[in-house]
Amino acid sequence: MTEELDLPGQDSDAGSEEVVLTPAELIDRLEQAWMNEKFAPELLENKSEIVECVMEQLQHMEENLRRAKKGDLKIEKFFPHVLEKEKTRREGEPSCLSPEECAFAREYMANTETYLKNVALKHMPPNLQKVDLLRAVPKPDLDSYVFLRVKERQENILVEPETDEQRDYVIDLEEGSQHLIRYKTIAPLVASGAVQLI
Amino acid sequence: MDAAEVEFLAEKELVTIIPNFSLDKIYLIGGDLGPFNPGLPVQVPLWLAINLKQRQKCRLLAPEWMDLEKLEEIRDHERKEETFTPMPSLYYMELTKLLLNHASDNIPKADEIRTLIKDVWDTRTAKLRVSADSFVRQQEAHAKLDNLTLMEINTSGAFLTQALNHMYKLRTNLQPSDSSQSQDL
Repeated sequence: MTEELDLPGQDSDAGSEEVVLTPAELIDRLEQAWMNEKFAPELLENKSEIVECVMEQLQHMEENLRRAKKGDLKIEKFFPHVLEKEKTRREGEPSCLSPEECAFAREYMANTETYLKNVALKHMPPNLQKVDLLRAVPKPDLDSYVFLRVKERQENILVEPETDEQRDYVIDLEEGSQHLIRYKTIAPLVASGAVQLI
Repeated sequence: MDAAEVEFLAEKELVTIIPNFSLDKIYLIGGDLGPFNPGLPVQVPLWLAINLKQRQKCRLLAPEWMDLEKLEEIRDHERKEETFTPMPSLYYMELTKLLLNHASDNIPKADEIRTLIKDVWDTRTAKLRVSADSFVRQQEAHAKLDNLTLMEINTSGAFLTQALNHMYKLRTNLQPSDSSQSQDL
């Protein structure tokens, strides 16, 4: 009964190809997406297709699955930036938010603005009554350090210097090795699945 | 990530059990298991093995590396080397803890094994502390940590990454630049 599942392919160059996965591989992918999302300092690409396939497998599974995946309040913490990213997303790029999350983020923003207005801004002098949430709310810190494990060998990854005396140098990432490095340099590798955050 | 979550991941590891019941093959999302026949060894994930043991439906077999002499060798090797040596299992700590807590009657020399594993753990976390210390002192930008298990990384990881983040912020704020992320108040 190990049926195979059709999953839209991750390769966005060739359009959406169907990738056939066994349920075990699907669970692996979900786990990897969970761990990457947990350790990344910013909101990663939404893997709703994986989640939907798992939901099909377990119809009695609750909404907790999706909430557990994005469980550390990243949407609430970074909401104006998340919505800005959605707005400026070009056609064809994968979205970071599922439709429900998008609605949640918008409502959260509207509620926060109303709250700030009613509690504080109304009582400020008229020329100070606007608040730019994009500037008021801290951005995700992409310079955070993360631990990662390499799934596909990468060459010539640039490591930026920490002090003035040091210079940039490049490293190769061997398959199976583990590293501690700043998130910014390897962010595209997380998105492509070449490394796994741990 | 807390230790319970690392243990959750560790529970996927396969161990051998000897069931005392029979059951046809079962089809789980993670893969097929069984069939189960009394007295015949079968491989199952750790979470299932522990559950069956608690319901007294099976006997657990110690993994091949959970043996007094092998672990003494590993411990001595770890103490000698300055870097981290590969461990017999990526989840040696979790496996030992769960197996010894729930099935110590099935594991020979359980107490000595517990002590040996603790020694190995202590040696490795001491090395980790030393290397984290030199990482911070020398303000390195990158570290390679092969052969470290997830539980070890997780135990000191959150503190280390937060400390490094703070230091990075302090350092970059020393040099005023246009691209600095500080926000105007």
